[in-house]
Amino acid sequence: MTRDLELAWLLTRGSDRREWWRVTLTAVGAALATGLGYAAVAVASVDGQVSTPYFHGLLNQPGQRAGVIVALLLLWVPVLGFLGQCARIGAVHRDRRLAGLRLAGATPGQVRRIAALESGLACLLGASVAAVFCALLMLNVLQQGFPPRAWAGFALVTCAVPLLAVLVSVVALRRVVASPLGWVRRVRPGHGRAATLALVVPAVLVGLGALLVVVRGTGPGTTAFPLLVFCAVALTGAGAVAVTGLTARAVGRRLAARTGSPAVLLAAERLRADPWATARTHATVLLVTVVGVGFLGVRQMLLDAVHQPPEGLPYDPEDLAFYTTGIDLVGAAVLVALLISLGGLAAGTAESLATRRRGLAAQAAAGVPRKVLGRALLLETALPLIPAMLLAGAGGTAVHVVHGTFVDPPVFPVLLPLLFPVLAYAACLLAAATSLPLLRRTVRPAELRFT
Amino acid sequence: MSSTSMSSTPMSRTDGAVPILAARGLSKAHGETRALRGASVELYAGEILAVTGASGSGKSTLLHCLAGMVRPDEGSVVYAGQRLDRLPEARLSELRRTEFGVVFQFGQLIPELTALDNTSLPLLLAGASRKAAHEQAGEWLERFGVRGQEGLRPGEMSGGQAQRVALARALVTGPKVVFADEPTGALDSLASEQVMTALAHTARETGTAVLLITHDAQVAAYADREVWLRDGAVSADAVALEATR
Repeated sequence: MTRDLELAWLLTRGSDRREWWRVTLTAVGAALATGLGYAAVAVASVDGQVSTPYFHGLLNQPGQRAGVIVALLLLWVPVLGFLGQCARIGAVHRDRRLAGLRLAGATPGQVRRIAALESGLACLLGASVAAVFCALLMLNVLQQGFPPRAWAGFALVTCAVPLLAVLVSVVALRRVVASPLGWVRRVRPGHGRAATLALVVPAVLVGLGALLVVVRGTGPGTTAFPLLVFCAVALTGAGAVAVTGLTARAVGRRLAARTGSPAVLLAAERLRADPWATARTHATVLLVTVVGVGFLGVRQMLLDAVHQPPEGLPYDPEDLAFYTTGIDLVGAAVLVALLISLGGLAAGTAESLATRRRGLAAQAAAGVPRKVLGRALLLETALPLIPAMLLAGAGGTAVHVVHGTFVDPPVFPVLLPLLFPVLAYAACLLAAATSLPLLRRTVRPAELRFT
Repeated sequence: MSSTSMSSTPMSRTDGAVPILAARGLSKAHGETRALRGASVELYAGEILAVTGASGSGKSTLLHCLAGMVRPDEGSVVYAGQRLDRLPEARLSELRRTEFGVVFQFGQLIPELTALDNTSLPLLLAGASRKAAHEQAGEWLERFGVRGQEGLRPGEMSGGQAQRVALARALVTGPKVVFADEPTGALDSLASEQVMTALAHTARETGTAVLLITHDAQVAAYADREVWLRDGAVSADAVALEATR
């Protein structure tokens, strides 16, 4: 293991600019995850009912603190999606490097360990920076004393984030065989219906379980509820990958057969050839959109109820601030999640371009105008996202409609929540468009000279 | 030389020597394309064997099968009494690390590592200390005339320098067999001559067997023996070529 670590360090140290981008972005993702973990531990370390000056007393009650902890942990989902995209940066380069190691006599297990340790080192860097920053913040700014178990929790988070990254890498590489002649990915024959069922069925079961918990009146202060919500979101994310992949493949197949536009044809063929690349890139955005649409609907109901209580007198300003602060914080969390997901999408699009640079340069050299290639790039994002966003809109609407049936009288806000998928769609296109300058550089015929 | 008949018997020497590596009846298909059709070849300790043939004749696939990088669909590869085509991946990796050396046309060096670290890599993977590995690697770099370039990464070297570093890496563990697939294919004639002279000289000095894949007659001239591959099988022409050598 020491030798593997030494080799991983040597390879990381000698990385080129693109690899450093991957290391930096992975470290940023790990720092975000560590920061969120620290915040969750800090909130969890508070005992009983307290009086805090933060967020209009939102952290005073144990039940509300549990909700805050769940929200913080849920933010790990887009962060993990972002980390997943970062891991793909320079994938071709990394595959070549690992094949070189195999040629020199490394075993497949050794190569997997070295690749996993490379991710672990980047995450350790991010986690360490976040740990130092958070410690300084806690000691100097908040001047808050924490019990020993909180410090143990902080230490656990600092170690767990790189360890988690290593484990995720090992799992991700378990189906990959590093060959001395290049990197060969095993094609799974049942990647279609069976995989979808394997993801969707547990997700539906967890969803039904969550619904049961809500209907039976188990409050958010219990342990089961936050755990169930966390599992439901994680599994829905996995299901979203399958759904987006299938949608991308279907859209690609249909359009490729019927279109007369070169840009649409290029995009459709790309979707058909590798629908799962699109799925991975868009899954987190789709998940955040479901949450966003659901949240906006519930938010509107809650704000209506707070500003115009159906029974009794209106709330005094202090109580009003307490409720609106809580709602605004969740809104901010959704916005942060969306921004992280868009960052992942931008990174994924840029990586896709870098991987295909020779093919794109060859198309440009053969006379395909850059505008057509640019349009094709945007369409690769735009086309599969239309059905995906419709699906996300419907899913989010279902969430707040179910919530609305418990309100007396039942209310069903529609307009504002459904604006979210439209805005998210536009933001995705903008994120993908950030790669257009890279496309201009990529399609230079000089790229054909390099392997 | 115009014979088109194919032979499934190994192209062997007649002095009764035992081959260090022997392939019999190798067949390998890549999808619909049959790259090898019953090819047989033998390699003896300390000899340089050139495998020549036209593009698409199956030369590289033959080398990949012989080096244990690809498992043949049919046939056997025997190295020092063991069936390579049946060995587990971990054992094949160990062989590549300790008893085989591999040189390709380009791309086998790891871009992130310096010339010294690239050359040290098989030793590091085998568990040697970095200091010891560097010392040994440094000696090999000197032998191939690239001492002083230790700190350079592959992207900073010329093609000839990179190939000599690749040769140093292939030989640093003292392998019994070196597999070289078009080692001078991307080099100009001067660099090509430097690389081949270094390879042939070192192989003879250390008694290492070399399986050399090439389509270049000048490169093949460095070999002790030459076999021809045609349509995935060792051609009978090879016998004639050997006889005339």
